[in-house]
Amino acid sequence: MSSIILEARDISYRYPRGMEAIRGISFHIRKKEKIALVGPNGAGKSTLLTLFNGMIRPDTGIMLFDNQPIRYDTASLRILRKRVGFVLQNPDRQIIAPTVYQDVAFGPTNLGYSVPEVKEAVTLALRHVGLEGFERRPPHQLSGGEKKRVAIAGVLAMDPDVLVFDEPTSGLDPSGSEDIMELLDELNHEGKTIIISTHDVELAYPWADRAILMLGGRILKEDVPDVAFGNIEAVRKAHLSIPTLLELHMELHKRGFLLSGKKPRTVLDMMHCIETLFEKSSDRQRHGTITVCNVDLDTQELLSDWLSKHKGVSIGAMGTRAKQYAENSRIHLDFTYGVIDKCILKALLGEESLILTTESMVKRVTLRVDAYGKESGASIPVNQLTASPEEMNDKNGCVP
Amino acid sequence: MFEELLEDIAQKNGLREVNVYLKLAAGLGAILLCLISASYLAPLFIALFLTGAILILARVDLKTYAELFFAPLFFALISVAGIILITGGPDIFWRWDLLPGFSLSITRESINQGVFVFCRVIGGMSAMIFIALTTPMTDIFIVLRRCRIPEVVIDLMMIIYRTIFILIDQVIQIYHAQVMRLGYSTYRESLYSFATLCGAAFIASWDAGEDLIRAMDARCYDGKFALLGESRPLERMPCLAVMTFLLLSTAVVIATGTITIL
Repeated sequence: MSSIILEARDISYRYPRGMEAIRGISFHIRKKEKIALVGPNGAGKSTLLTLFNGMIRPDTGIMLFDNQPIRYDTASLRILRKRVGFVLQNPDRQIIAPTVYQDVAFGPTNLGYSVPEVKEAVTLALRHVGLEGFERRPPHQLSGGEKKRVAIAGVLAMDPDVLVFDEPTSGLDPSGSEDIMELLDELNHEGKTIIISTHDVELAYPWADRAILMLGGRILKEDVPDVAFGNIEAVRKAHLSIPTLLELHMELHKRGFLLSGKKPRTVLDMMHCIETLFEKSSDRQRHGTITVCNVDLDTQELLSDWLSKHKGVSIGAMGTRAKQYAENSRIHLDFTYGVIDKCILKALLGEESLILTTESMVKRVTLRVDAYGKESGASIPVNQLTASPEEMNDKNGCVP
Repeated sequence: MFEELLEDIAQKNGLREVNVYLKLAAGLGAILLCLISASYLAPLFIALFLTGAILILARVDLKTYAELFFAPLFFALISVAGIILITGGPDIFWRWDLLPGFSLSITRESINQGVFVFCRVIGGMSAMIFIALTTPMTDIFIVLRRCRIPEVVIDLMMIIYRTIFILIDQVIQIYHAQVMRLGYSTYRESLYSFATLCGAAFIASWDAGEDLIRAMDARCYDGKFALLGESRPLERMPCLAVMTFLLLSTAVVIATGTITIL
């Protein structure tokens, strides 16, 4: 287990002349964790989040960052805020400058980076969120999702270790929400600790490593999502709902279907549960192949060649750059979120699929498929679409 | 209400990528030449030229341009009418002794003067509109910094610029909410609705201001604001075009001398 990065010890906070928002909370967050703070409106989620980067100071108790108590002098706060990036709920309130470039450059400039360094940080951050070429655009001309991305890029440009999001998907359409969640996954994969607040249970359930249920300024329940959200009493108290998949699983269980394995967090997990129940998965002899194409390598020709040979395969893209790549190359995408799971589902049906993704995510595909293979005993071959044709021939990236 | 703003047109116009200084040189040069010219012909020539540039090069649609152009023209016409009636001269066409010691008259001189002023207005206006439609504010910030305007002023301008759009958005939302619930239906009602609109906008902007400070703090604000420093390169074609325009206009100014309409 990795070390603790943020810790709260019995903190409480009362707004000036207002109600007590936090009433004695203790918890810790480890490095590279994905944490979802879930609770109804007014539970104190947003207040708790603003404690993380020292925007407000707890009345009692202490906050620790990297095992050091947070100090509230200007110099220490600057360091803290560089390391704990905060993305507000309303991007309009976060975007300050008249152009995208200037806004993303705001943090780095104030951190005293030199002009070329600022430029590099901005380019990198915009590339990350898939907004290359938006530098000169004024924010008021962007769509809600794009504004959100600008706000995220503005924080990413400071290269924080911890990213705190207040309602990251509020006001976005479903596909936009999935895109943002995917982006959060991508960032997490690069080693960032991510904390979000939300009251969207369906969103938090498959995503989070750990869920913290809050109510009335207190922590109601803190556990892995299937336990936290599986506690009917806690969920009801917190004015939330049980995630559909979990509820389905519980209902099936009640009716005497003995579902094996862990509780399902995705449709794929659910399918696995059901298939093992009816022992159908063993009937199918051959699984389809998943081919992974790294768009960071120069694979344009190879890819079009491959596509012309494999007509009608399902194609998914993971990561913003991969999606952009697909758009530029006019590749029709069947999946834009939950890509690996959907491709595994295809493979289980014996169909071929292709995943377009970026360098940092290639490994993740193999890992996820491996993990699934171990659990279910299904062996799904994963091929890399690489420049050298020798390697292309059935390089099996999965458990035999 | 004001859904399409000048700034939006400027951000999308066909001359967006042309060097800012060139566009400003063309616009400001045109205004100067309009002022220097002693004849009504040169400003007309400039207006025609710039209108062509706005419509063809910047690809602004005719309707938008016409609306922009004719709105202030009404005021110009009123003032010109005043000038024609009040300016005296020896060559009288029409005269009306309104009061003892005060008379309205139309003379050769007054007509010349009126037409001259009117054409100047047209020339100057087309130059202003040219700048407004081709050069977005975000580019002008760069020029302002280059001109050594104090940083504080520019930073304030940038924050104000950004805030204006947020405020407009809010005002539009409140306005729509009012109209949907039958605000502005009678005279009294519209006075009341307008007052609440102002109040709500004030509170919203106050709120936004507090959030702004928080957002800046959260990103380590230290008194610095980045500026997109890169200006578009000076390309040969636009450069030549602006020079030709200015030289041609100067030539027209000199050639037309003091030609008058009558």
